[in-house]
Amino acid sequence: MTTNLITQIDSWAVNDPERVAYNFLGQKNTYGELKQYSDALAARIKKLGLSREQPIIVYGGQTFAMIATFLGIVKAGHAYIPVDAHSPLKRLQDIKQIAQPAACVAVNDLPVNDWDIPVITADELDHLFTNSANIVDPVTPADYVAGDDTYYIIFTSGTTGMPKGVQISHDNLQSFTDWMAEDFGINHPMVTLSQPPYSFDLSVMDLYPTLLHGGMLDVLPQETTANFKELFAALPKYQIENWVSTPSFIEMCLLSPDFNEQSNPTIKNILFCGEELTHATAAAVKQRFPKAHVYNTYGPTETTVAVTAVEITNEVLDSYQRLPIGWPKNGTPVVLLNEDNQLVDQGEDGEIVIMGPSVSKGYLNNPEKTNQAFIEVDGKRAYKTGDLGQYDENGQLLYKGRVDFQVKLHGFRIELEEVDQHLTHVAEVAQAITVPRYGANHKVQQLVAYIVPQDKDFAGKERELTQSIKAQLQKNMMSYMMPGRFVFVDAIPLTPNGKLDRKLLMSEVNGK
Amino acid sequence: MKDTVLDILADLTGSDEVKTNLDTELFNSGLLDSMATVQLLLELQTQLGVDVPVSEFERSEWDTPNKIIAKVEELG
Repeated sequence: MTTNLITQIDSWAVNDPERVAYNFLGQKNTYGELKQYSDALAARIKKLGLSREQPIIVYGGQTFAMIATFLGIVKAGHAYIPVDAHSPLKRLQDIKQIAQPAACVAVNDLPVNDWDIPVITADELDHLFTNSANIVDPVTPADYVAGDDTYYIIFTSGTTGMPKGVQISHDNLQSFTDWMAEDFGINHPMVTLSQPPYSFDLSVMDLYPTLLHGGMLDVLPQETTANFKELFAALPKYQIENWVSTPSFIEMCLLSPDFNEQSNPTIKNILFCGEELTHATAAAVKQRFPKAHVYNTYGPTETTVAVTAVEITNEVLDSYQRLPIGWPKNGTPVVLLNEDNQLVDQGEDGEIVIMGPSVSKGYLNNPEKTNQAFIEVDGKRAYKTGDLGQYDENGQLLYKGRVDFQVKLHGFRIELEEVDQHLTHVAEVAQAITVPRYGANHKVQQLVAYIVPQDKDFAGKERELTQSIKAQLQKNMMSYMMPGRFVFVDAIPLTPNGKLDRKLLMSEVNGK
Repeated sequence: MKDTVLDILADLTGSDEVKTNLDTELFNSGLLDSMATVQLLLELQTQLGVDVPVSEFERSEWDTPNKIIAKVEELG
């Protein structure tokens, strides 16, 4: 099967080139430009004569040039790897080492200049796009792209401190966007909020359903959302119909009493993904937007953004204290297995295992981790999520936490062991273990790092130690993984098996 | 009031530094992020009855414990 994702987006440019695709705080770009820029980049990449087996890294922020670059790379027959420009250099270098990319497109200036692969620099790209009207080189990706070819690769954190690249194929993405069209009505031109960075797969939920159907992305970049004054100045200028965000982000918007149906009458759909939606947040959203359809969705990056959903109605709010994550999308069996990979009974907890057309082909260049997480159930390929679930008497899936030490903080997936790894690489640290501190509604409030310093005589030096450790972590670790609190101790308690006892510290931190 | 603000900040940041150095830069140091700021504003409302007009919330005016105390005094 060949894909038609790109040709479908391009068809809007062919029929209506002036149609606006991207609205960056009032600065608009059209479908015509999207096609023209991506065609020009695809032609440029094809001239490099690269192996199509190898992906291409895209480094940049939340701009129109990023979107045009993604499409250009896919048109040239490659998969793209989005790396956000706020990432530390080490993450960028790790991703390059693991992915073995054929090239890199630097939409923002790269923080390195000695890469041994072809790099299309920010200046070159700018020049290419500016002069793209003169390039006539029709690119027809459907001729040689197969449905099983990788469309994008998104890197998540890994337990050993090395990230894992989740490969999502054209067919995976098509299955996801079909679901968005059928079950959420995103099958016509809609104005959609585009807020998460493109390296976070929640962005796929706003980008592709919108662009496939001729809609417009209203962009709120990180620089704007970091300052409430700018955020609340920007929101009323937008006419968002389709709101896609993490619950954390809308909680920020709810701070403003003006964030409601009266001042945002265009909002029709509110889709949540990326972290647990609490009852309190959902109830507040329903109260502010009584006419909007509010959906809770669930799914890991490995199964293409989301695979289950439920509309949060007042009835659901009345019936559930902890909100359900809903029903699987069509053709996507979601089963619950016990430790022996046997199905559990209804009403019992089991690990959520996902099958069907959304399941990734695995982690790029990492057969070991792929074989651990991707298994066969009844002869079908399946992904073990590491999440615990339970089917209730209505057939609704309930989320019951993690089977391992992974947490979500502000929508970001964090492996606690990865933070530990980073900490133990710091010179002053002998041993370290990270635990989550929970706030209301089972939500992680911050990470607390317990540290045994190399210098046993650390009393009175805690502040200097904290500053030095933070400075070293900042160089190598994503900022959202930074512990909010550092506790220095003489020793970390051990489990009977001699491992650092994370559970004991968790109960200490959370006062249980 | 001052102690309440500092207690809220200490709880949110998980650090006593906010109590010992009232000129600590909360955002630049990574002690507070946008999401923690949401919690801060909610706590100020619940515990002190201070309503912060968020549409006027300029980060630079709230970036140390001292500045936050001054703002709360002004709004209270």
